[in-house]
Amino acid sequence: MEVRELKTLLALMQDFGLVELEIEDKKGKVRLVRAGVAASATGTPPAAVAASSKEIAARAFELRTGKEASKPATSSGNGARGSEPPAIAENQKLIASPMVGTFYRAASPDSDPFVEEGDSVRKGQALCIIEAMKMMNEIEADAGGRIVRILCENGQPIEYGQPLMVLEIG
Amino acid sequence: MFKKLLVANRGTIAIRIIRACRELGINTIAIYSTADKDALHVRMADEAVCIGPAAAEDSYLNIPSIISTVLTYGADAVHPGYGFLSENGDFAEACRRSGVNFVGPRARHIRLMGDKPRARRIMKRAGVPVLPGSEGTGVTELKDAQADATRLGYPVLIKAAAGGGGKGMRIVRDAHELTRLFPIARGESEAAFGSRTMYLEKYLERARHVEFQILADNNRNVIHLGERDCSIQRRHQKVLEEAPCPVMTKRLREKMGKAAVRAATVVGYSNVGTVEFLLADDGQFYFIEMNTRIQVEHGVTEMVTSTDLVKESIRIAAGEPMGMKQRQIEIKGAAIECRIYAEDPDSHLPAPGVVSNHHAPGGLGVRVETALYDGYRVPVHYDPLIAKLITHADTRALAIVRSKAALREYVIDGIRTNIPLHLKILDDADFKRGEFATDFLERYEHAPAAPKVSAAIERVTAKAS
Repeated sequence: MEVRELKTLLALMQDFGLVELEIEDKKGKVRLVRAGVAASATGTPPAAVAASSKEIAARAFELRTGKEASKPATSSGNGARGSEPPAIAENQKLIASPMVGTFYRAASPDSDPFVEEGDSVRKGQALCIIEAMKMMNEIEADAGGRIVRILCENGQPIEYGQPLMVLEIG
Repeated sequence: MFKKLLVANRGTIAIRIIRACRELGINTIAIYSTADKDALHVRMADEAVCIGPAAAEDSYLNIPSIISTVLTYGADAVHPGYGFLSENGDFAEACRRSGVNFVGPRARHIRLMGDKPRARRIMKRAGVPVLPGSEGTGVTELKDAQADATRLGYPVLIKAAAGGGGKGMRIVRDAHELTRLFPIARGESEAAFGSRTMYLEKYLERARHVEFQILADNNRNVIHLGERDCSIQRRHQKVLEEAPCPVMTKRLREKMGKAAVRAATVVGYSNVGTVEFLLADDGQFYFIEMNTRIQVEHGVTEMVTSTDLVKESIRIAAGEPMGMKQRQIEIKGAAIECRIYAEDPDSHLPAPGVVSNHHAPGGLGVRVETALYDGYRVPVHYDPLIAKLITHADTRALAIVRSKAALREYVIDGIRTNIPLHLKILDDADFKRGEFATDFLERYEHAPAAPKVSAAIERVTAKAS
């Protein structure tokens, strides 16, 4: 770990009032403990915080671009910022949105959802709707298989390329 | 005032708009293509939405995708920046129909000024001087172009009626060249703008490109904020701009400013705009076209007039009256903008790559507008303009010195840029004397031997005077 990164970690500890910080990444493991700090009033040991170096870098970047660190993540699916695409197995693929719009599980508020988790689907079967400018666009399975996970909620704003479901092929 | 503004652009101008919104207390949504997921504007905005794959036509030019983003993520205003959809009347109209404010003029202004022959006709009727050129709606056939050229006398300039940005433009010096170049220019126009309609204008040798910044609110108040000299161009693409024009006089500025204001007033214009003129060496000026958007080089006007044109455009779009009166506009000092392109300094071909060791200059009178950062990969899909270095000083001579020092301080490793060309321009004796026209950069297109010879002559004549 470079001195520069260590200094950023120490600044973070200061900012958040941490007494102990442990970091593990592919480069190794570092544990920083502030000396001479009294235990908390309740007597419980201070919590150790694990943070990846990626998060540290993100924070440094946020400071540079002038955004507040404590700002909560937006409720919309900001694929590139914060959320990584879900990890999937070899025989699985992500059904991604081909457009910006609103995600709906069913054809109308009164209908049943197109699919539930665990359902088997054929290639070409409608899985959900992305509504854009009052037009309902059916999103179809591009392969046959089983819907393992549904990643979005009914009515959620969706961006281009956002993963909607995990499909297990076969 | 707006609550949430969607920035329908990328790069430097997107950051400029986000900064203006921060000062106005407006939340911002950035849009980005998959190629821009690591872009700075994406990180700086309050929200960011991926709207399509890398190709501009599928993302930054994709009207349905952007309108869908506005409606799904809830913006009450859209700022189009420059380039992309900023001068697309359909986009302005789509915004309005979707119930969202478009920061710019009305769709009809965009369409009117986008039809160059029509704009010329309107200006002529309004008493604004225009260059002799094609009458009516333009020409599509060679024989009509030939008739116009004979009437005007060579040399002439072929231009695209639906055009801009130098595409579909050719200088023609005789009938032979017209026969050869007219179909080529027309083909370029069709590819770029979807139109085969062209028009001819008398070509003025050694003219300066002098444009006036205008500002109009929704109450028909129109003012001008002085001029910019944008004569330093390569193949009709601006490279360096400055304010004020080095040969401008108070009298001429009043005359041209009045004409610019008249151009905007006569069409009921609102928001920011730029009226372009050609200034001949006999002091005559002629309207060429009007740009209905904020321009790349707006920063030099901001520096010499102490105004914030982006904030003004947002305020006006929100229905507020203009923040200033004509008599309050004063030109103070001189400002120079160097457009820094990611390009090979010899071939001028775009040179994308990964930026390392990015260090931007600073200090008194130095303003850098860029979306670069250490480790940023400049994408191949978009305009290679990666930074704008603007300096402001009490005198033009000092602004030149300041620009040179700032360029030397600017470190951008990992990609090639045209910074060496800027240093040459700023060292050029004619440039320093303010003596140049739109053919200025040709001297740096020739073989190296030529500049060396003239440099020797310079030293001799400098010693002699």
